[in-house]
Amino acid sequence: MTGPAEGLTWGRRYLMCPPRHFGVLYEINPWMSREVSVDPDKALLQWEGLVATLEAAGAGVVVMEPEADVPDLVFTANAGVVNGGQFVPSHFRHPERRPETPINAEWFRKRGWRVDHLPAELDHEGAGDALPFTREDGRTVLLSGYSFRSDAGAATELSKLLACPVRPIQLVDPRLYHVDLTFCPLDARHAIVAPLGWDAYGRKVVEALVPEPLVLTDDETLSFCANSVVVGSTIVMAAVPPRVGRQLEAWGFTVVSCEIGEFLKAGGGCRCLTLALDVRLSPDAPPAPDPS
Amino acid sequence: MAIETVEVSGHIVDSLLLAKILDTILDAGCDYEIVEFDVGKTNLDPSRARIVVRGDDDVLGPLLDSLQMHGANRVGQSDARLVPAEVDGVLPAGFYSTTNLATEVRIDGQWLTVENPEMDCALVVLDGRVRTTPMHRVAAGDAVVVGSDGVRVQAPEHPRDTQVFEFMASEVSSEKPKALLVSRVADRLRVARDRGGKVLVVCGPAVVHTGGAPDLARLVSAGWVDVLFAGNGFAAHDIEANVLGTSLGVSVAEGVPTEGGHANHIRVINEVRRHGSIAAAVEAGFVTGGVMHACVKAGVPFVLGGSIRDDGPLPDVISDTVAAADALRQHIPGVTATLMLASTLHAIATGNCLPAGVETFCVDINQAVVTKLADRGSHQALGIVTDVGLFVRQLVDHLLGPG
Repeated sequence: MTGPAEGLTWGRRYLMCPPRHFGVLYEINPWMSREVSVDPDKALLQWEGLVATLEAAGAGVVVMEPEADVPDLVFTANAGVVNGGQFVPSHFRHPERRPETPINAEWFRKRGWRVDHLPAELDHEGAGDALPFTREDGRTVLLSGYSFRSDAGAATELSKLLACPVRPIQLVDPRLYHVDLTFCPLDARHAIVAPLGWDAYGRKVVEALVPEPLVLTDDETLSFCANSVVVGSTIVMAAVPPRVGRQLEAWGFTVVSCEIGEFLKAGGGCRCLTLALDVRLSPDAPPAPDPS
Repeated sequence: MAIETVEVSGHIVDSLLLAKILDTILDAGCDYEIVEFDVGKTNLDPSRARIVVRGDDDVLGPLLDSLQMHGANRVGQSDARLVPAEVDGVLPAGFYSTTNLATEVRIDGQWLTVENPEMDCALVVLDGRVRTTPMHRVAAGDAVVVGSDGVRVQAPEHPRDTQVFEFMASEVSSEKPKALLVSRVADRLRVARDRGGKVLVVCGPAVVHTGGAPDLARLVSAGWVDVLFAGNGFAAHDIEANVLGTSLGVSVAEGVPTEGGHANHIRVINEVRRHGSIAAAVEAGFVTGGVMHACVKAGVPFVLGGSIRDDGPLPDVISDTVAAADALRQHIPGVTATLMLASTLHAIATGNCLPAGVETFCVDINQAVVTKLADRGSHQALGIVTDVGLFVRQLVDHLLGPG
């Protein structure tokens, strides 16, 4: 039994995009099927429920306007990587999602972020494939997934742009196509980890990085519980497997479940619907502007 | 066998990416060499590795694709840089210094094979051909390859036919069954001849001292030797043995020193000089047997390279050593097997000029000779530590039957 969780130093302000144009219009991951229709009203209710849950946990939510024909804009985690007042927009692998890049870049530029771009030939899908873990010594490492959506080489460029160490790990299960389906930093000692998604090298990298991981079973992993949003010591997840909930509570976290079933039809969980705006990866990063 | 270079950078140590890339290379049955590695000094500094990957052509392509997935990209090959030599006999600074391995040079996007691999030379490009050229042969204006861009070297392939070759893989040792080694060398000479390759024999005077000259002469007469390289000593003692029956004054038949024998070789050299050449001495009937006689009679070309301690020397000896090496080079194209018999200086000189692909057998009673040869870059040499006279006798038995 450890003391009360300290929670994350970031994750108090999120960018979200309401699902007014959301639907499964194409299939770019194993969860998506155009034969499964999304109930738009239900999706909007669930999204609003998530906003309310996050706000109740003490987070601020900034909303960006959705656009027609860009259904996955709701998954703001994939907009890019935020580092204080710096924003690196994603380069999407699938042509279906590429129209999101200029929309996201423009949104951040207009609100005072410095927008830096990755080389055009390298794919990287933003915070969906890059999550920071800050250790007790204060050092932050960005854990970046590659293979299905992002290039390993992008990690190097990202590291140069952000002035932050980036460790690329290989994702090996197509159902877990982004690193945020396999990794959820909780505080300086804890993280939810899903080895199912990684190769042997990646498992070792995470093992070396996280002092006390909560290692998910395969079934727990596929419930998307690693794709959670952490607000301080509150963890918001789509489904709470009993063992996971008990362990998190034992560590002093409060676990809140939030129904987002319509978005799971597109292969997205709670984390995918949010982009933390208060992440700071390097001490030299420019200060974050106030977007509200 | 193909070679490619890839480069990977970033936090490749912490992320185990480098370990994974190297493992991936090995798992594919390929080999690697990290030719450059800059390790980031702090947690934030990226590291960078340049890795040369060697493997079979059919494996390397897919391997490069999978390495690219891990962020290791093929290093773009550029054309070789050519700089004209300013002065005769002087290479431009930074010239590419050759190995004896098969080498290719990229010119106008095309990989050209170097025609005559030889170590410690420069690469000169002329009319779409690339040749190795020793420093002293470079002429002002010759286009010389500078730097290593656009140059690729093929590692020697490991023989796959282990039945035939496995004995070649081991280190030189005196602890080997000699009869087996001799029969294998005989097999290799047969293979070389069947494939139309030339056999070069390099001889030291110990061939004569140990009584091997008549056997070697039989090999020459029977067409097993295509070119012979030696020094003044070998030729002088070979002729001395024929004319006076001694080698360095010691009776070849009885093994005992003869009265005044120490001057025998110099008297014989003097007589050959009187005839003007070894061939003339043979034609005049002064020399009636031995290896040099057999060469003259069989029309086998020989190169006698001089050295500072030569007596005489014989009129055929090329006392300008640079010219002697050039004369040797004239005969190397087409050579596929070399026998180095109890020779240190001429064996190393020959090794310096031979492409790595030439099968080389170095026979000496002294293990150090073979080691020296390998230390000077002739890694292909197989050493056989034994008495050279006995070796040649057994080789003749294998190739010609007991005489």
